[in-house]
Amino acid sequence: MIRQISVFVENQPGSMMNVTSVLTETGVNIRAISTFDTPEFGIMRLVVDDPVSAKNSLTEKGFVTRVSDVIGVELKDEQGNLNQMLKILADGKINIDYIYSFVIREGKAPVMVFHTDDFEQAEKVLETAGVKIMEEEEL
Amino acid sequence: MIWDKEETLPREEIKAIQLAKLKDTVRYIYDRVKPYRDKMDAAGIKPDDVQTLEDLKRLPFTYKADFRDHYPDGLFAVDKKDIVRYHASSGTTGKPTVVGYTRNDLDMWLNNVARLACMGGATADDVAQISFGYGTFTGALGLHGGLEKIGASVIPMSSGNTNKQIMFLQDMGVTLLVATPSYALHLGEEIRNRGIDPEKDLKLHIGLFGGEGMTEPMRDEMHKVWGDQFVCTQNYGMSELCGPGVAGECTELCGMHVNEDWFIPEIIDPETEEVLPPGELGELVVTCLGKEALPLVRYRTGDLTRLMYEPCKCGRTTCRMENISGRADDMLVIRGVNVFPTQIEEVLLKIDEIGPHYEILVERRNRLDVMTITVELIDDRLLDSYAKLSELESRIKKALKAQLGLATQIRLVAPNSLQRFEGKAKRVTDLRKDGL
Repeated sequence: MIRQISVFVENQPGSMMNVTSVLTETGVNIRAISTFDTPEFGIMRLVVDDPVSAKNSLTEKGFVTRVSDVIGVELKDEQGNLNQMLKILADGKINIDYIYSFVIREGKAPVMVFHTDDFEQAEKVLETAGVKIMEEEEL
Repeated sequence: MIWDKEETLPREEIKAIQLAKLKDTVRYIYDRVKPYRDKMDAAGIKPDDVQTLEDLKRLPFTYKADFRDHYPDGLFAVDKKDIVRYHASSGTTGKPTVVGYTRNDLDMWLNNVARLACMGGATADDVAQISFGYGTFTGALGLHGGLEKIGASVIPMSSGNTNKQIMFLQDMGVTLLVATPSYALHLGEEIRNRGIDPEKDLKLHIGLFGGEGMTEPMRDEMHKVWGDQFVCTQNYGMSELCGPGVAGECTELCGMHVNEDWFIPEIIDPETEEVLPPGELGELVVTCLGKEALPLVRYRTGDLTRLMYEPCKCGRTTCRMENISGRADDMLVIRGVNVFPTQIEEVLLKIDEIGPHYEILVERRNRLDVMTITVELIDDRLLDSYAKLSELESRIKKALKAQLGLATQIRLVAPNSLQRFEGKAKRVTDLRKDGL
Protein backbone atom coordinates (compact mmCIF):
# COMPACT_ATOMS: atom_id res chain seq x y z
CA MET A 1 0.00 0.00 0.00
CA ILE A 2 1.22 3.50 -0.73
CA ARG A 3 -0.01 6.91 0.41
CA GLN A 4 -1.05 9.80 -1.75
CA ILE A 5 -1.67 13.40 -0.82
CA SER A 6 -4.73 15.22 -2.14
CA VAL A 7 -4.70 19.01 -2.33
CA PHE A 8 -7.64 21.33 -3.01
CA VAL A 9 -6.76 23.81 -5.76
CA GLU A 10 -8.81 26.47 -7.44
CA ASN A 11 -9.07 26.32 -11.20
CA GLN A 12 -6.96 29.37 -11.99
CA PRO A 13 -3.49 30.15 -13.33
CA GLY A 14 -0.66 29.22 -11.02
CA SER A 15 -2.65 27.28 -8.48
CA MET A 16 -0.89 23.97 -9.17
CA MET A 17 2.47 25.66 -9.30
CA ASN A 18 1.76 27.06 -5.82
CA VAL A 19 1.56 23.47 -4.58
CA THR A 20 4.66 22.22 -6.38
CA SER A 21 6.70 25.20 -5.25
CA VAL A 22 5.90 24.47 -1.60
CA LEU A 23 6.96 20.85 -2.16
CA THR A 24 10.16 21.95 -3.86
CA GLU A 25 11.02 24.25 -0.96
CA THR A 26 10.40 21.39 1.45
CA GLY A 27 12.63 19.09 -0.56
CA VAL A 28 9.90 16.62 -1.30
CA ASN A 29 10.22 14.55 -4.47
CA ILE A 30 7.10 14.09 -6.59
CA ARG A 31 6.70 10.59 -8.01
CA ALA A 32 3.31 10.86 -9.66
CA ILE A 33 0.71 13.52 -10.17
CA SER A 34 -2.83 13.79 -11.43
CA THR A 35 -5.54 16.41 -11.40
CA PHE A 36 -9.19 16.40 -12.20
CA ASP A 37 -10.94 19.57 -13.03
CA THR A 38 -14.34 21.11 -12.62
CA PRO A 39 -15.06 24.64 -13.79
CA GLU A 40 -14.14 26.10 -10.43
CA PHE A 41 -11.86 23.83 -8.47
CA GLY A 42 -9.77 20.71 -8.70
CA ILE A 43 -8.27 18.04 -6.53
CA MET A 44 -4.59 17.55 -7.16
CA ARG A 45 -3.35 14.11 -6.19
CA LEU A 46 0.31 13.29 -5.76
CA VAL A 47 2.50 10.41 -4.75
CA VAL A 48 5.62 11.78 -3.08
CA ASP A 49 8.62 10.34 -1.30
CA ASP A 50 7.68 11.91 2.03
CA PRO A 51 3.90 12.33 2.39
CA VAL A 52 4.07 13.46 6.02
CA SER A 53 6.43 16.39 5.39
CA ALA A 54 4.47 17.20 2.25
CA LYS A 55 1.21 17.43 4.17
CA ASN A 56 2.74 19.38 7.02
CA SER A 57 4.34 21.96 4.79
CA LEU A 58 1.25 22.37 2.60
CA THR A 59 -1.07 22.65 5.60
CA GLU A 60 1.23 25.24 7.10
CA LYS A 61 0.94 27.26 3.89
CA GLY A 62 -2.83 27.14 4.12
CA PHE A 63 -3.66 24.34 1.68
CA VAL A 64 -6.40 21.87 2.45
CA THR A 65 -4.43 18.63 2.21
CA ARG A 66 -5.28 15.03 2.94
CA VAL A 67 -3.19 11.89 3.10
CA SER A 68 -4.91 8.67 2.09
CA ASP A 69 -4.13 5.17 0.87
CA VAL A 70 -3.97 4.04 -2.74
CA ILE A 71 -2.78 0.86 -4.37
CA GLY A 72 0.26 0.80 -6.63
CA VAL A 73 0.98 -2.16 -8.86
CA GLU A 74 3.92 -2.78 -11.13
CA LEU A 75 3.28 -3.02 -14.83
CA LYS A 76 5.53 -4.48 -17.49
CA ASP A 77 6.30 -1.92 -20.16
CA GLU A 78 4.70 -3.92 -22.94
CA GLN A 79 1.57 -3.84 -25.05
CA GLY A 80 -1.60 -5.15 -23.41
CA ASN A 81 -0.20 -5.14 -19.90
CA LEU A 82 -2.45 -2.36 -18.59
CA ASN A 83 -5.43 -4.05 -20.19
CA GLN A 84 -4.56 -7.27 -18.45
CA MET A 85 -4.26 -5.53 -15.08
CA LEU A 86 -7.62 -3.86 -15.49
CA LYS A 87 -9.14 -7.19 -16.49
CA ILE A 88 -7.95 -8.80 -13.27
CA LEU A 89 -9.63 -6.05 -11.29
CA ALA A 90 -12.79 -6.13 -13.40
CA ASP A 91 -13.10 -9.89 -13.05
CA GLY A 92 -12.70 -9.44 -9.31
CA LYS A 93 -15.58 -6.88 -9.37
CA ILE A 94 -13.31 -4.14 -8.11
CA ASN A 95 -14.55 -0.65 -8.86
CA ILE A 96 -11.75 1.78 -9.64
CA ASP A 97 -12.61 5.31 -8.49
CA TYR A 98 -9.68 6.83 -10.31
CA ILE A 99 -6.38 5.78 -11.78
CA TYR A 100 -3.43 7.92 -12.51
CA SER A 101 -0.15 8.47 -14.16
CA PHE A 102 2.38 5.77 -13.75
CA VAL A 103 5.32 6.38 -11.53
CA ILE A 104 8.38 6.23 -13.72
CA ARG A 105 11.33 4.88 -11.84
CA GLU A 106 14.82 4.89 -13.15
CA GLY A 107 15.59 1.45 -14.60
CA LYS A 108 12.50 -0.12 -13.04
CA ALA A 109 9.04 -1.05 -14.29
CA PRO A 110 6.24 1.62 -14.26
CA VAL A 111 3.61 1.59 -11.54
CA MET A 112 -0.11 2.09 -11.93
CA VAL A 113 -1.75 3.96 -9.03
CA PHE A 114 -5.45 3.59 -8.35
CA HIS A 115 -8.08 4.16 -5.70
CA THR A 116 -10.98 1.91 -4.86
CA ASP A 117 -13.59 1.74 -2.15
CA ASP A 118 -12.73 -1.87 -1.33
CA PHE A 119 -9.02 -2.17 -0.62
CA GLU A 120 -9.28 -5.58 1.07
CA GLN A 121 -10.95 -7.24 -1.88
CA ALA A 122 -8.65 -5.50 -4.36
CA GLU A 123 -5.59 -6.80 -2.57
CA LYS A 124 -7.03 -10.28 -2.49
CA VAL A 125 -7.83 -10.23 -6.21
CA LEU A 126 -4.41 -8.94 -7.13
CA GLU A 127 -2.61 -11.41 -4.92
CA THR A 128 -4.58 -14.31 -6.36
CA ALA A 129 -3.56 -13.18 -9.83
CA GLY A 130 0.06 -13.02 -8.72
CA VAL A 131 0.34 -9.23 -9.05
CA LYS A 132 2.73 -7.49 -6.73
CA ILE A 133 1.37 -4.60 -4.71
CA MET A 134 3.97 -1.93 -4.17
CA GLU A 135 5.06 -0.60 -0.81
CA GLU A 136 6.30 2.96 -0.43
CA GLU A 137 9.91 2.01 0.15
CA GLU A 138 9.96 0.15 -3.15
CA LEU A 139 9.03 3.21 -5.21
CA MET B 1 -59.24 56.61 -12.88
CA ILE B 2 -58.80 57.75 -9.26
CA TRP B 3 -60.13 55.11 -6.90
CA ASP B 4 -60.81 57.10 -3.70
CA LYS B 5 -61.65 60.72 -2.99
CA GLU B 6 -59.05 60.69 -0.18
CA GLU B 7 -56.37 60.77 -2.87
CA THR B 8 -57.40 64.24 -4.01
CA LEU B 9 -58.17 66.10 -0.78
CA PRO B 10 -56.67 69.53 -0.07
CA ARG B 11 -53.44 69.16 1.95
CA GLU B 12 -55.06 70.64 5.05
CA GLU B 13 -57.74 67.95 5.02
CA ILE B 14 -55.15 65.20 4.52
CA LYS B 15 -53.28 66.55 7.53
CA ALA B 16 -56.44 66.67 9.62
CA ILE B 17 -57.15 63.01 8.84
CA GLN B 18 -53.55 62.11 9.66
CA LEU B 19 -53.62 63.93 13.00
CA ALA B 20 -56.89 62.36 14.10
CA LYS B 21 -55.71 58.88 13.16
CA LEU B 22 -52.26 59.44 14.66
CA LYS B 23 -53.72 60.34 18.05
CA ASP B 24 -55.85 57.20 17.99
CA THR B 25 -52.93 55.05 16.86
CA VAL B 26 -50.61 56.30 19.58
CA ARG B 27 -53.24 55.73 22.26
CA TYR B 28 -53.93 52.28 20.75
CA ILE B 29 -50.32 51.12 20.78
CA TYR B 30 -49.69 52.50 24.25
CA ASP B 31 -52.68 50.64 25.63
CA ARG B 32 -52.24 47.39 23.75
CA VAL B 33 -48.62 46.71 22.83
CA LYS B 34 -46.15 46.40 25.69
CA PRO B 35 -42.94 46.94 23.69
CA TYR B 36 -44.34 50.29 22.47
CA ARG B 37 -45.45 51.28 25.94
CA ASP B 38 -42.01 50.46 27.33
CA LYS B 39 -40.28 52.50 24.62
CA MET B 40 -42.62 55.46 25.09
CA ASP B 41 -42.22 55.36 28.85
CA ALA B 42 -38.46 55.25 28.45
CA ALA B 43 -38.65 58.26 26.14
CA GLY B 44 -40.94 60.04 28.62
CA ILE B 45 -43.82 60.52 26.19
CA LYS B 46 -47.50 59.77 26.82
CA PRO B 47 -50.27 59.43 24.23
CA ASP B 48 -51.74 62.78 25.31
CA ASP B 49 -48.47 64.49 24.43
CA VAL B 50 -49.24 63.96 20.75
CA GLN B 51 -51.32 67.00 19.84
CA THR B 52 -49.98 68.01 16.42
CA LEU B 53 -48.34 66.20 13.50
CA GLU B 54 -45.10 67.87 14.61
CA ASP B 55 -45.25 65.77 17.78
CA LEU B 56 -44.74 62.64 15.71
CA LYS B 57 -41.00 63.20 15.75
CA ARG B 58 -40.97 62.85 19.55
CA LEU B 59 -42.09 59.22 19.29
CA PRO B 60 -39.49 56.43 19.39
CA PHE B 61 -38.57 54.59 16.19
CA THR B 62 -39.54 50.99 15.48
CA TYR B 63 -36.86 48.81 13.92
CA LYS B 64 -36.83 45.54 12.01
CA ALA B 65 -34.93 44.16 15.00
CA ASP B 66 -38.05 44.73 17.12
CA PHE B 67 -39.80 42.06 15.07
CA ARG B 68 -36.99 39.64 15.81
CA ASP B 69 -36.92 40.54 19.51
CA HIS B 70 -40.66 40.02 19.81
CA TYR B 71 -40.96 37.09 17.38
CA PRO B 72 -43.41 35.98 16.20
CA ASP B 73 -46.30 38.19 17.31
CA GLY B 74 -45.11 40.28 20.27
CA LEU B 75 -45.89 43.51 18.41
CA PHE B 76 -49.45 42.46 17.64
CA ALA B 77 -52.26 44.50 19.20
CA VAL B 78 -55.14 42.05 18.87
CA ASP B 79 -56.01 38.59 20.02
CA LYS B 80 -55.09 35.68 17.76
CA LYS B 81 -58.76 34.94 17.05
CA ASP B 82 -59.14 38.36 15.38
CA ILE B 83 -56.36 37.62 12.88
CA VAL B 84 -57.65 36.43 9.52
CA ARG B 85 -54.35 36.33 7.63
CA TYR B 86 -50.65 35.99 8.28
CA HIS B 87 -47.83 36.84 5.92
CA ALA B 88 -44.10 36.81 6.46
CA SER B 89 -40.94 38.20 4.94
CA SER B 90 -37.29 37.65 5.61
CA GLY B 91 -35.88 38.66 8.94
CA THR B 92 -32.31 39.77 9.44
CA THR B 93 -31.53 36.28 10.74
CA GLY B 94 -33.18 32.88 10.68
CA LYS B 95 -36.55 33.95 12.03
CA PRO B 96 -38.89 35.52 9.50
CA THR B 97 -40.69 38.81 10.08
CA VAL B 98 -44.30 37.75 10.70
CA VAL B 99 -47.17 40.13 10.04
CA GLY B 100 -50.91 39.73 10.62
CA TYR B 101 -54.17 41.25 9.45
CA THR B 102 -57.62 41.60 10.92
CA ARG B 103 -60.64 41.63 8.62
CA ASN B 104 -60.53 45.44 8.59
CA ASP B 105 -56.79 45.44 7.92
CA LEU B 106 -57.31 43.24 4.87
CA ASP B 107 -60.01 45.57 3.56
CA MET B 108 -57.82 48.64 4.09
CA TRP B 109 -54.82 46.92 2.54
CA LEU B 110 -56.53 45.67 -0.58
CA ASN B 111 -58.31 49.00 -1.03
CA ASN B 112 -54.93 50.72 -1.01
CA VAL B 113 -53.69 48.23 -3.59
CA ALA B 114 -56.78 48.96 -5.69
CA ARG B 115 -55.74 52.63 -5.61
CA LEU B 116 -52.29 51.94 -6.99
CA ALA B 117 -53.63 49.56 -9.61
CA CYS B 118 -55.80 52.45 -10.81
CA MET B 119 -52.80 54.80 -10.63
CA GLY B 120 -51.04 52.43 -13.03
CA GLY B 121 -54.01 52.44 -15.44
CA ALA B 122 -55.79 49.23 -14.48
CA THR B 123 -59.57 48.95 -14.93
CA ALA B 124 -62.29 46.35 -14.50
CA ASP B 125 -61.69 45.30 -18.13
CA ASP B 126 -58.18 44.07 -17.50
CA VAL B 127 -57.05 40.45 -17.43
CA ALA B 128 -54.22 40.42 -14.92
CA GLN B 129 -51.51 37.78 -14.73
CA ILE B 130 -49.79 37.75 -11.34
CA SER B 131 -46.25 36.49 -11.84
CA PHE B 132 -45.07 37.10 -8.31
CA GLY B 133 -44.43 34.00 -6.25
CA TYR B 134 -47.40 33.23 -4.00
CA GLY B 135 -46.91 31.94 -0.47
CA THR B 136 -46.22 34.14 2.52
CA PHE B 137 -44.90 36.95 0.31
CA THR B 138 -47.36 39.87 0.44
CA GLY B 139 -46.82 40.96 -3.17
CA ALA B 140 -48.78 38.23 -4.92
CA LEU B 141 -51.87 38.08 -2.70
CA GLY B 142 -51.81 41.87 -2.27
CA LEU B 143 -51.99 42.66 -5.99
CA HIS B 144 -54.32 39.72 -6.44
CA GLY B 145 -56.84 41.12 -3.95
CA GLY B 146 -56.45 44.72 -5.08
CA LEU B 147 -57.05 43.87 -8.73
CA GLU B 148 -60.06 41.75 -7.84
CA LYS B 149 -61.42 44.71 -5.90
CA ILE B 150 -61.45 46.90 -9.01
CA GLY B 151 -63.10 44.08 -10.95
CA ALA B 152 -60.20 42.91 -13.09
CA SER B 153 -59.93 39.19 -13.96
CA VAL B 154 -57.03 37.75 -12.03
CA ILE B 155 -54.83 34.82 -13.08
CA PRO B 156 -52.78 33.64 -10.06
CA MET B 157 -49.91 32.36 -12.19
CA SER B 158 -47.12 32.66 -9.59
CA SER B 159 -43.46 32.85 -10.57
CA GLY B 160 -41.33 30.65 -12.81
CA ASN B 161 -42.30 28.28 -15.63
CA THR B 162 -41.77 30.69 -18.48
CA ASN B 163 -43.46 28.44 -21.05
CA LYS B 164 -46.69 28.41 -19.10
CA GLN B 165 -46.45 32.16 -18.47
CA ILE B 166 -46.21 32.79 -22.21
CA MET B 167 -49.03 30.38 -23.04
CA PHE B 168 -51.41 32.16 -20.66
CA LEU B 169 -50.35 35.60 -21.88
CA GLN B 170 -51.25 34.52 -25.41
CA ASP B 171 -54.27 32.30 -24.89
CA MET B 172 -56.04 34.27 -22.15
CA GLY B 173 -55.56 37.64 -23.79
CA VAL B 174 -53.74 38.98 -20.75
CA THR B 175 -53.66 42.80 -20.67
CA LEU B 176 -51.84 43.43 -17.40
CA LEU B 177 -48.73 41.86 -15.93
CA VAL B 178 -47.73 41.92 -12.26
CA ALA B 179 -44.08 40.97 -11.75
CA THR B 180 -40.71 42.20 -10.62
CA PRO B 181 -39.35 44.52 -13.33
CA SER B 182 -36.38 42.25 -13.97
CA TYR B 183 -38.62 39.23 -14.47
CA ALA B 184 -40.82 41.26 -16.82
CA LEU B 185 -37.74 42.07 -18.92
CA HIS B 186 -36.65 38.44 -18.90
CA LEU B 187 -40.12 37.26 -19.89
CA GLY B 188 -40.38 39.86 -22.67
CA GLU B 189 -37.07 38.78 -24.13
CA GLU B 190 -38.04 35.11 -23.98
CA ILE B 191 -41.21 36.00 -25.87
CA ARG B 192 -39.28 37.84 -28.57
CA ASN B 193 -36.83 34.93 -28.81
CA ARG B 194 -39.78 32.76 -29.77
CA GLY B 195 -40.66 35.02 -32.64
CA ILE B 196 -43.64 36.56 -30.88
CA ASP B 197 -43.99 40.33 -31.20
CA PRO B 198 -45.65 41.59 -28.00
CA GLU B 199 -46.94 44.70 -29.74
CA LYS B 200 -48.77 42.78 -32.48
CA ASP B 201 -49.38 39.34 -31.04
CA LEU B 202 -50.29 40.10 -27.41
CA LYS B 203 -52.86 42.32 -25.73
CA LEU B 204 -50.57 43.14 -22.83
CA HIS B 205 -50.29 46.90 -22.31
CA ILE B 206 -49.95 47.48 -18.57
CA GLY B 207 -47.22 46.44 -16.18
CA LEU B 208 -47.56 46.87 -12.42
CA PHE B 209 -44.13 46.24 -11.01
CA GLY B 210 -42.83 45.80 -7.52
CA GLY B 211 -40.75 43.61 -5.26
CA GLU B 212 -37.66 45.52 -6.35
CA GLY B 213 -37.07 49.01 -7.65
CA MET B 214 -37.41 49.89 -11.33
CA THR B 215 -34.81 52.40 -12.50
CA GLU B 216 -35.39 54.70 -15.47
CA PRO B 217 -32.93 52.70 -17.64
CA MET B 218 -34.99 49.60 -16.81
CA ARG B 219 -38.15 51.40 -17.86
CA ASP B 220 -36.49 52.32 -21.16
CA GLU B 221 -35.56 48.66 -21.70
CA MET B 222 -39.12 47.70 -20.84
CA HIS B 223 -40.37 49.81 -23.74
CA LYS B 224 -37.84 48.25 -26.09
CA VAL B 225 -39.01 44.78 -25.11
CA TRP B 226 -42.76 45.28 -24.70
CA GLY B 227 -43.28 48.19 -27.09
CA ASP B 228 -43.62 51.97 -26.81
CA GLN B 229 -47.26 51.83 -25.78
CA PHE B 230 -46.58 49.66 -22.76
CA VAL B 231 -47.50 51.57 -19.60
CA CYS B 232 -45.29 50.42 -16.78
CA THR B 233 -45.42 51.73 -13.25
CA GLN B 234 -43.96 50.58 -10.01
CA ASN B 235 -45.33 50.55 -6.53
CA TYR B 236 -43.88 50.45 -3.08
CA GLY B 237 -44.57 48.61 0.09
CA MET B 238 -43.13 46.17 2.56
CA SER B 239 -44.80 43.46 4.53
CA GLU B 240 -44.29 45.20 7.88
CA LEU B 241 -46.30 48.19 6.63
CA CYS B 242 -49.01 45.96 5.02
CA GLY B 243 -47.33 44.79 1.80
CA PRO B 244 -47.84 46.60 -1.50
CA GLY B 245 -50.24 49.53 -1.25
CA VAL B 246 -48.11 52.07 0.58
CA ALA B 247 -47.34 54.07 -2.56
CA GLY B 248 -47.58 53.76 -6.31
CA GLU B 249 -46.67 55.61 -9.48
CA CYS B 250 -49.40 57.18 -11.52
CA THR B 251 -49.09 57.31 -15.30
CA GLU B 252 -47.51 60.79 -15.07
CA LEU B 253 -44.42 58.90 -13.84
CA CYS B 254 -43.20 61.53 -11.42
CA GLY B 255 -42.83 59.56 -8.22
CA MET B 256 -44.97 57.18 -6.19
CA HIS B 257 -48.07 58.64 -4.53
CA VAL B 258 -48.15 57.76 -0.85
CA ASN B 259 -51.55 56.76 0.50
CA GLU B 260 -51.23 59.46 3.11
CA ASP B 261 -54.53 58.92 4.83
CA TRP B 262 -53.12 55.54 5.94
CA PHE B 263 -49.38 56.18 6.10
CA ILE B 264 -47.37 59.16 7.34
CA PRO B 265 -43.97 59.25 5.64
CA GLU B 266 -40.97 61.03 7.11
CA ILE B 267 -37.44 61.32 5.78
CA ILE B 268 -34.62 61.19 8.31
CA ASP B 269 -30.88 61.29 8.28
CA PRO B 270 -30.12 57.63 9.09
CA GLU B 271 -27.04 58.60 11.10
CA THR B 272 -28.32 61.50 13.23
CA GLU B 273 -31.97 60.32 13.09
CA GLU B 274 -33.02 63.96 12.57
CA VAL B 275 -36.09 64.58 10.42
CA LEU B 276 -35.10 66.21 7.11
CA PRO B 277 -37.13 68.85 5.25
CA PRO B 278 -39.20 67.93 2.15
CA GLY B 279 -37.09 67.23 -0.93
CA GLU B 280 -34.04 65.99 0.96
CA LEU B 281 -32.69 62.49 0.42
CA GLY B 282 -32.72 60.24 3.47
CA GLU B 283 -34.19 57.14 5.04
CA LEU B 284 -37.92 56.65 4.74
CA VAL B 285 -39.71 56.25 8.07
CA VAL B 286 -43.38 55.28 7.96
CA THR B 287 -46.12 55.43 10.55
CA CYS B 288 -49.15 53.27 9.76
CA LEU B 289 -52.51 54.79 10.64
CA GLY B 290 -55.49 52.76 11.73
CA LYS B 291 -53.94 49.33 11.46
CA GLU B 292 -55.51 46.97 13.95
CA ALA B 293 -53.41 43.79 14.09
CA LEU B 294 -49.95 45.22 13.69
CA PRO B 295 -49.81 48.97 14.26
CA LEU B 296 -46.43 50.44 13.42
CA VAL B 297 -45.14 53.81 14.50
CA ARG B 298 -42.10 55.44 12.93
CA TYR B 299 -40.88 52.27 11.26
CA ARG B 300 -37.35 52.52 9.88
CA THR B 301 -37.74 51.11 6.36
CA GLY B 302 -34.03 51.32 5.53
CA ASP B 303 -34.98 52.60 2.06
CA LEU B 304 -33.41 55.85 0.84
CA THR B 305 -35.68 58.26 -1.02
CA ARG B 306 -37.06 61.80 -0.95
CA LEU B 307 -40.57 63.20 -0.68
CA MET B 308 -42.24 65.74 -2.97
CA TYR B 309 -45.38 67.60 -1.94
CA GLU B 310 -46.16 69.61 -5.09
CA PRO B 311 -49.51 68.68 -6.69
CA CYS B 312 -49.37 66.12 -9.50
CA LYS B 313 -50.89 66.53 -12.97
CA CYS B 314 -52.92 63.38 -12.39
CA GLY B 315 -55.10 65.26 -9.90
CA ARG B 316 -53.90 63.48 -6.78
CA THR B 317 -52.78 65.71 -3.94
CA THR B 318 -50.95 63.03 -1.96
CA CYS B 319 -47.21 63.43 -1.64
CA ARG B 320 -44.92 61.46 -3.89
CA MET B 321 -41.79 59.51 -3.07
CA GLU B 322 -38.94 59.19 -5.52
CA ASN B 323 -37.65 55.82 -6.76
CA ILE B 324 -35.74 54.12 -3.98
CA SER B 325 -32.12 55.05 -4.54
CA GLY B 326 -30.51 52.63 -2.13
CA ARG B 327 -30.52 51.24 1.35
CA ALA B 328 -29.41 52.65 4.67
CA ASP B 329 -28.41 49.12 5.69
CA ASP B 330 -26.85 46.18 3.84
CA MET B 331 -30.10 44.52 2.72
CA LEU B 332 -30.07 43.14 -0.82
CA VAL B 333 -33.05 42.63 -3.06
CA ILE B 334 -32.53 39.44 -5.09
CA ARG B 335 -35.27 38.52 -7.53
CA GLY B 336 -37.63 40.60 -5.45
CA VAL B 337 -36.68 38.79 -2.25
CA ASN B 338 -35.10 40.75 0.58
CA VAL B 339 -31.86 39.20 1.71
CA PHE B 340 -29.74 40.23 4.66
CA PRO B 341 -26.11 39.07 4.68
CA THR B 342 -26.65 38.09 8.32
CA GLN B 343 -29.16 35.44 7.17
CA ILE B 344 -26.53 33.94 4.89
CA GLU B 345 -23.89 34.10 7.59
CA GLU B 346 -26.11 32.26 10.02
CA VAL B 347 -26.52 29.36 7.58
CA LEU B 348 -22.82 29.18 6.71
CA LEU B 349 -21.70 29.17 10.34
CA LYS B 350 -23.64 25.97 10.92
CA ILE B 351 -21.68 24.08 8.26
CA ASP B 352 -18.51 22.67 9.80
CA GLU B 353 -16.60 21.88 6.63
CA ILE B 354 -16.27 25.52 5.65
CA GLY B 355 -14.66 28.49 7.37
CA PRO B 356 -16.45 31.54 8.81
CA HIS B 357 -15.44 33.92 6.01
CA TYR B 358 -17.56 34.46 2.94
CA GLU B 359 -18.17 36.81 0.05
CA ILE B 360 -21.39 37.56 -1.77
CA LEU B 361 -21.41 38.53 -5.43
CA VAL B 362 -24.63 39.72 -7.03
CA GLU B 363 -24.91 40.14 -10.78
CA ARG B 364 -27.59 40.06 -13.39
CA ARG B 365 -27.42 37.35 -16.06
CA ASN B 366 -30.03 37.14 -18.73
CA ARG B 367 -31.98 39.83 -16.81
CA LEU B 368 -32.19 37.72 -13.68
CA ASP B 369 -30.30 38.14 -10.45
CA VAL B 370 -27.64 35.58 -9.69
CA MET B 371 -26.06 35.45 -6.25
CA THR B 372 -22.76 33.64 -5.85
CA ILE B 373 -21.45 32.93 -2.39
CA THR B 374 -17.78 32.12 -2.02
CA VAL B 375 -16.73 30.10 0.99
CA GLU B 376 -13.47 28.62 2.17
CA LEU B 377 -13.13 24.87 2.36
CA ILE B 378 -11.38 23.78 5.54
CA ASP B 379 -12.15 20.09 5.98
CA ASP B 380 -9.57 17.87 4.24
CA ARG B 381 -11.79 14.77 4.48
CA LEU B 382 -13.77 16.08 1.52
CA LEU B 383 -10.74 15.60 -0.73
CA ASP B 384 -11.32 11.85 -0.83
CA SER B 385 -13.65 12.26 -3.75
CA TYR B 386 -15.44 14.78 -5.91
CA ALA B 387 -18.69 13.32 -4.75
CA LYS B 388 -17.98 14.58 -1.24
CA LEU B 389 -17.14 18.06 -2.48
CA SER B 390 -20.22 18.31 -4.61
CA GLU B 391 -22.31 16.90 -1.78
CA LEU B 392 -21.03 19.78 0.37
CA GLU B 393 -21.90 22.26 -2.35
CA SER B 394 -25.41 20.98 -2.67
CA ARG B 395 -25.84 20.84 1.11
CA ILE B 396 -24.88 24.54 1.38
CA LYS B 397 -27.23 25.41 -1.47
CA LYS B 398 -30.08 23.52 0.11
CA ALA B 399 -29.58 25.18 3.50
CA LEU B 400 -29.49 28.62 1.89
CA LYS B 401 -32.56 27.85 -0.17
CA ALA B 402 -34.42 26.84 2.99
CA GLN B 403 -33.36 30.04 4.74
CA LEU B 404 -33.69 32.57 1.91
CA GLY B 405 -36.16 30.92 -0.43
CA LEU B 406 -33.67 31.57 -3.22
CA ALA B 407 -31.33 29.49 -5.33
CA THR B 408 -27.68 30.48 -4.96
CA GLN B 409 -24.40 29.55 -6.61
CA ILE B 410 -21.61 28.32 -4.34
CA ARG B 411 -17.92 28.72 -5.02
CA LEU B 412 -15.47 26.78 -2.88
CA VAL B 413 -12.02 28.25 -2.46
CA ALA B 414 -8.92 27.39 -0.49
CA PRO B 415 -8.58 28.59 3.10
CA ASN B 416 -7.29 32.13 3.60
CA SER B 417 -8.04 33.12 0.04
CA LEU B 418 -10.85 35.48 1.00
CA GLN B 419 -10.01 38.93 2.21
CA ARG B 420 -9.89 39.44 5.98
CA PHE B 421 -11.27 42.64 7.47
CA GLU B 422 -10.23 44.36 10.64
CA GLY B 423 -13.05 46.88 10.80
CA LYS B 424 -16.42 46.59 9.14
CA ALA B 425 -16.30 43.75 6.65
CA LYS B 426 -17.20 44.45 3.04
CA ARG B 427 -18.51 41.08 2.00
CA VAL B 428 -20.99 42.09 -0.68
CA THR B 429 -20.18 43.06 -4.25
CA ASP B 430 -23.20 44.15 -6.26
CA LEU B 431 -22.42 44.42 -9.97
CA ARG B 432 -25.95 45.35 -11.00
CA LYS B 433 -25.88 48.78 -12.60
CA ASP B 434 -29.15 50.70 -12.82
CA GLY B 435 -30.90 47.40 -12.27
CA LEU B 436 -29.69 46.08 -15.62
